[in-house]
Amino acid sequence: MGDQAITCTGLTRRFPSGTALDALTLDARRGEVLALLGPNGAGKTTTMRLLNGVLRPDEGTATVLGLDPWTQGDELRARTGVLTENAGLDERFTALENLELMARLRGIDRTTARRKAGELLERFGMGHRADVKVQGFSTGQRKRVALARALLHDPELLFLDEPTSGLDPAATRAVVDLIGSLAAEQGRTVVLCTHFLGEAGKLANRMAVLFTGKLHAFGTPAELAAGLWSTDEVRLDLAQPASAAVLDGLVALPTVVAAVPTDHGALVRIAERAAVPEVVAVCVANGASVYGVDAKEPTLEDVYFEIEARSDAAHLATAS
Amino acid sequence: MSSVGSSRRPGVDWSAVRVVLARDLGAIKRSKALVLPMLLLPVVLLVLLPASVGMAARGRDLNIERFIQFLPSDLAEPVLGYPQREQLVVLVLGYLVAPLFLIVPLMVSAVTASDTFAGEKERRTLETLLHLPVRDRDLYIAKLLGGFIPATAVSWIGFVLFATISNIVCWPVMHRLFLPTWLWMIVIFWLAPAVAALGLGIMVRVSMRVSNTQEAQQLGGAVVLPLVILAVGQTTSILLRGPGAAFLAGVVVWAIAIFLNVRGARSFTRDRMAARL
Repeated sequence: MGDQAITCTGLTRRFPSGTALDALTLDARRGEVLALLGPNGAGKTTTMRLLNGVLRPDEGTATVLGLDPWTQGDELRARTGVLTENAGLDERFTALENLELMARLRGIDRTTARRKAGELLERFGMGHRADVKVQGFSTGQRKRVALARALLHDPELLFLDEPTSGLDPAATRAVVDLIGSLAAEQGRTVVLCTHFLGEAGKLANRMAVLFTGKLHAFGTPAELAAGLWSTDEVRLDLAQPASAAVLDGLVALPTVVAAVPTDHGALVRIAERAAVPEVVAVCVANGASVYGVDAKEPTLEDVYFEIEARSDAAHLATAS
Repeated sequence: MSSVGSSRRPGVDWSAVRVVLARDLGAIKRSKALVLPMLLLPVVLLVLLPASVGMAARGRDLNIERFIQFLPSDLAEPVLGYPQREQLVVLVLGYLVAPLFLIVPLMVSAVTASDTFAGEKERRTLETLLHLPVRDRDLYIAKLLGGFIPATAVSWIGFVLFATISNIVCWPVMHRLFLPTWLWMIVIFWLAPAVAALGLGIMVRVSMRVSNTQEAQQLGGAVVLPLVILAVGQTTSILLRGPGAAFLAGVVVWAIAIFLNVRGARSFTRDRMAARL
């Protein structure tokens, strides 16, 4: 078990409508935030249900918190907390009652359940609505109550399924901040299913990109980018197009792959970021004034959409 | 807590069952859409009907002997043994209402089962339950009891009301407490719970296949209604044959109900429920 909170190999689940998950292999370390990224129908929720022992796989193996999710499901679920996409609160009960009932189903006695529920609602800014029926709550308020519910038993592993879907920007930021603080507590592992790249970028240590049930990429954003592109792009602002001498000097460097002039300078492709000072030095040595250097690293969005584009291209190639 | 797929089969975790049950019963109590139909039919059958029969029986020239003579002789005999003035009350409140009474547990169990099984899917609360450390079997037992307890409670409380009103309204005719009879005791404490369990056995299987309460009630109704018609017709003649026949009818209904519910329990697995979310 060691440092790993989750390991799964070849996890596959088929439904009558098709294969929801196809030979998924990944792992999550204790205390890390792992984002499962992908559009609707990518297999993120199926993965979460499989890893928490709610669904059984057709093929594959997994160990979660040192347990087999399908033969030790209840032991595992006693140590995990889940926020489902639709919050799953019973509208006929108040926020406090919803939490108390779930705490009691987790074996927490009535007095402790009430106290913990009250404390968590206060912490998540819902204390003032504790005794109000959930029926009238906004999506953001429901998510916060559901997050509080997921933490009632201090789980070691949190599964969060689309925690910010349906939220306005302010509520999204509040929930993302909350999740960030939860992940930082007690070395808690978080599996975050989302199709919002912003929250994944802010929270995740590593990410698994899924399309139509298949894993297309897995690693840190930098690792994913390195796997996609072998070069970085540097935009030089020289206030005028780069001279021939500057361009010749740049391409003569072993770390420069290509250099082309632009209206205000040059666009240079380099093999590694460490080449940036050398690039600047060559410009200055060849009489150019350097006003700005934009060594642009690919964003998570760049990475995600590149993976998606390559996945689509591969799919088309296979189909034809 | 124990595992879902392990080979260990420990006993029922009653503390988990109690909490799920308390949650389901509390939710039913707060839902007007469930409580109103659950009360309306019993009020009509168990309060208005005996009151009307009692008032009619007070009429001076009421003679139903000719009607009774149309019944097979072995069935008419027990009623004809009573004084003429009492025959209407004995026939209707002593025998004919009994099979109608069985509609109450059947209907209440159908309504509650559709809410506790299909309603969970509709309200999107089922997935939360599946992610809890509660075994499939405990969840199923709690859900079953969530339908059975209201159905039986409504039947029993309804019968107390029915017997009280019947005895009061019919006192000028009967001059004695004529209810409960042995037949009624068997109907209420043996046959009605069996019918509730039968309704649950059917509705649980229906509810697991559909996505909302309305579909469950429509599909369940299509299965349950013919049964009601058949049951009412057959039960009347069975009950007129006496308490022994009523007891045997209960044995048959219990056997079918247990068979359906055991099969239901076997098919109620987390994986199957989650796959239909």
